[in-house]
Amino acid sequence: MRRDIVRAVVGREFAELLRNRVLLATILIPPVILTIAPLVLGSVVQGGDRPFPDTLVAQILAQRPEWAGFTTREIATAFTLQQFLVYFLMMPAYIPLSVATFSIIGEKTSHSLEAVLASPIRTSELLAGKSIAALVPGVLAGWLTYLVFATLARVQYGPHLGSVVTDASWLAGAFLLGPAIGLLSVVAGVVVSSRSSDPRTAQQIGGVVIIPLVAFTILQASGSVIVGAFGYALTAAVVAIVALIGLRLGVALFGRETILTRWR
Amino acid sequence: MSDDDVRDAATRVPTIRAQGLGRQFGETWAVRGVTFDVQAGEVLGLLGPNGAGKTTTVRMLTALIAPTEGDASIDGHDVRHDAEAVRARVGVLTETPGLYEKLSARANLEFFGRLHGLAPDVRAERIQRLLTLFDLWDRRDDPAGTFSKGMKQKLAIARALLHEPAVLFLDEPTAALDPEAAFIVRESISRLRAAGRTILLATHNLDEADRLCDRIAFVRGGLLRIDSPARLRGDLGGGPGIEVSLDAPADPSLVRAAEALPVVRGVASRNGRLSIGLEDPRRDTPALVRALVTAGAGIVEVRERAASLEDVYFEVMGVRPAAGGEAA
Repeated sequence: MRRDIVRAVVGREFAELLRNRVLLATILIPPVILTIAPLVLGSVVQGGDRPFPDTLVAQILAQRPEWAGFTTREIATAFTLQQFLVYFLMMPAYIPLSVATFSIIGEKTSHSLEAVLASPIRTSELLAGKSIAALVPGVLAGWLTYLVFATLARVQYGPHLGSVVTDASWLAGAFLLGPAIGLLSVVAGVVVSSRSSDPRTAQQIGGVVIIPLVAFTILQASGSVIVGAFGYALTAAVVAIVALIGLRLGVALFGRETILTRWR
Repeated sequence: MSDDDVRDAATRVPTIRAQGLGRQFGETWAVRGVTFDVQAGEVLGLLGPNGAGKTTTVRMLTALIAPTEGDASIDGHDVRHDAEAVRARVGVLTETPGLYEKLSARANLEFFGRLHGLAPDVRAERIQRLLTLFDLWDRRDDPAGTFSKGMKQKLAIARALLHEPAVLFLDEPTAALDPEAAFIVRESISRLRAAGRTILLATHNLDEADRLCDRIAFVRGGLLRIDSPARLRGDLGGGPGIEVSLDAPADPSLVRAAEALPVVRGVASRNGRLSIGLEDPRRDTPALVRALVTAGAGIVEVRERAASLEDVYFEVMGVRPAAGGEAA
């Protein structure tokens, strides 16, 4: 794989992304909302007059013994904040999916891909460039939003309670599982876009990647599953392996001839 | 021609070589049995109706799709086994310009220059030269989406030329363009032809092919005929010759005077017009006209005898639309 060519594809993708206001809005607006919402909700729980039932508190402490020094109200707030880690995993999932589907299907509709395929670029180089260009904004948005969120949480709740969102499980989730999910999302976007001609359809089908995340959110909110740092790191490794296998499949499915003879 | 020239001609690899080229989609053959060579500096027109297989032929020759049967090479590189090298040696203007419309003209060319591995200084020099050549330099920083259709097509041709390819493939370069834009694009192609570029021009525009091509290949599901426009017209018009218009019905003595010349290959007289076959009209016409005038002919007009390319097209394709519009 020739790095100069991959860099050229990434550079052009970014240049186009910066000029696509609709796509930029879909990338930038949700992170702002996701940063503010957990803090507002956490404050509501902290200031509320209906603390968690003792059975739930006991269940939470069984999973999180390090929270034993917290008051019942602090445990409720910490538990509420904990639920939002999943949202920071969703950002690297949906942003690359949007970018990848718009990128490939945009080239289908503008017929710009034929000229690219007529150049000496290899399929692997083209897809690597597109994947990196789709993955980077999502991962960076996820990390940046998380850092802003963690800083604001410390300011709002103080270092004691604020440290909940910077413990090892959060760091593993945001910095390991997030990019892995992003990669899987890109692969889904590339594979589905190669076979579809409508960005919305591709996003909906590719969005299947997010379903396990939603299930995970429900399980964690109900207290059925509370994943620690090791759990996140292990999940990240599994997801990354699945994504890399999917990427190889994506290169095979991305038929140059099919694109030229069937895309209209 | 010296012995060396003869040896060179015998061993020279054509820039484009197609041998029995064919492509099948499902059960249907889009095109089959295409065989021709194109030498360096030659402009070959692929002429045929929509769906004749022109684009499929171009795509096979540019290693965009693989042939189902037959072989082809560009500059000696096999399209099937050396596709990357072929793509590095061809410039392709696709049916639609396919530009990145949000990017400037310069950014579009910059991207393709990088895909072809051009060094930054080479890229910059060629981009400036090509944008200047196609009168786009003043608009170099404007998004391609703001260009007219003709300007977009010129930018796409500039993109195809950026890496100085051995062969330029132009697929319907003036289709869907208004007359003004089509004129601009044809002028650009004319300049490239004058500069000695090897060009394969796929078109269904007869006038365009006639004006721009050294040879024309008629395609319809396969190669029907290939030759120079002059020979194609000459063959259909009964061979090379001239038409002489007289100021009165032709006297039999004029026919005899013409037939007496050894270069004449037959004379037909009808309604004050003589149709005279000649070995070489350009060489033989002055002597013939002198003989006719000496025999008392009042000559109003002399012109080379030839069918129009449109006549040739319908003859080769085996169809001729009736006045009402249906093929006869």
